[in-house]
Amino acid sequence: MKIKAYWLILLFCLSGTGTFAQEQKMAESEIATFKQTVNSVSKKIKTLTTDFVQYKHLDFLSKDIETSGKMFFKQPNLLNWKYIKPYNYSIVFKNNKIFINNEGSKSSVDMGNNKMFEKINKLIVGSVSGDMFDDGAFVITYFKSKDGYITRLLPKDATLKKYIKQIELVFDKEEGIVKQVKLIESSNDFTKINFKNKIINAKIDDSAFNN
Amino acid sequence: MLLLVSCASHTLKGFSKTIVEQPIYKAPYFSNTGTDYVYKANISIYGKKLSGLFIAKQINDSCHRIVFTTEFGNSLLDFEIGEHTFKINSIVADLDKKMIIKTLKNDFRLVLANSYHVQAQYENATDKVYKSKDGNRYNLLFIKKQSDNLYKLVRASRYKEKVVVSYSNVNNQLAESLTIEHKNIKLDIVLNYMNN
Repeated sequence: MKIKAYWLILLFCLSGTGTFAQEQKMAESEIATFKQTVNSVSKKIKTLTTDFVQYKHLDFLSKDIETSGKMFFKQPNLLNWKYIKPYNYSIVFKNNKIFINNEGSKSSVDMGNNKMFEKINKLIVGSVSGDMFDDGAFVITYFKSKDGYITRLLPKDATLKKYIKQIELVFDKEEGIVKQVKLIESSNDFTKINFKNKIINAKIDDSAFNN
Repeated sequence: MLLLVSCASHTLKGFSKTIVEQPIYKAPYFSNTGTDYVYKANISIYGKKLSGLFIAKQINDSCHRIVFTTEFGNSLLDFEIGEHTFKINSIVADLDKKMIIKTLKNDFRLVLANSYHVQAQYENATDKVYKSKDGNRYNLLFIKKQSDNLYKLVRASRYKEKVVVSYSNVNNQLAESLTIEHKNIKLDIVLNYMNN
């Protein structure tokens, strides 16, 4: 019996590391400081290069689908989101256009007349730099835990709400930079993206945004 | 020979009718209940190109769950398809068109079917073909005699091929690559297995 109880406790501890992690609502003053830190950090970001690992979680699957790659960002709005494993697929946002390179097959979309893409672009850049607190499109709540600061964004827009239930950004405590993005769909399935090996303000040649 | 002529005759050119070996052919490629089937999907529709992930899993004896997502992970459609059942869990507005849903439903049902009733059988030196009636269409399943692998599935009317599914890199009841080619509309779907 004793052994059983021991295992049960251990199991709880292990499985609880994600959800059990002491998470508290931030006080108003903490929110103000946090926003200020993130805004000043994101203002300093001229370029950003980072590796990412993406996990697509669907409840009916036995395993999350894992893809990974690199992301390049240059102010004000050059972005290359590049999957390397297990396939080569990159999407570049540049001059109001989207350029897709899908395993060598290239295509482009004009964002000029596509409000949805404009929103996506803003969302991605905002998620990476953390600069989305003044975005009136979301109801935002703020939490803190041992692992970092967590912001939860609930879309107000009815169309967006149909597809995205909530966006969760986890910020590194020291750097004030986003280290994890979680997009939760209305079905509660989600996409989680972890960033690592971030390099800030290194020179990125414009050719990194040719697709 | 008369029968051959009346059923997409050129598809079975060079084949002769034999006795039916087995009344039911068990489909090999998507029928393992415990397996997550995850493929990179490249779709070409009337010259436009789309891509994403095709995810399928047999969730009970008679039903598959199918989800199509973008590379970013957001779901574009989520269906449950059985031999006689069909349920839409979700679909984005851009794809929510009767024609699209009907075509995808028929394609997925064709590819994911667990078994086919064999009404007639044909063969040549290297291949055998099972013919299975499916409503007012026929499904012709082409199998290599040597490996016993299904390598082509043709859905046809009495006169014309409608859909051709080609399987390649087949091993261990898994088709690593398949192409769904439509003959009456300009729609091709290419699926490549992702080692997850």
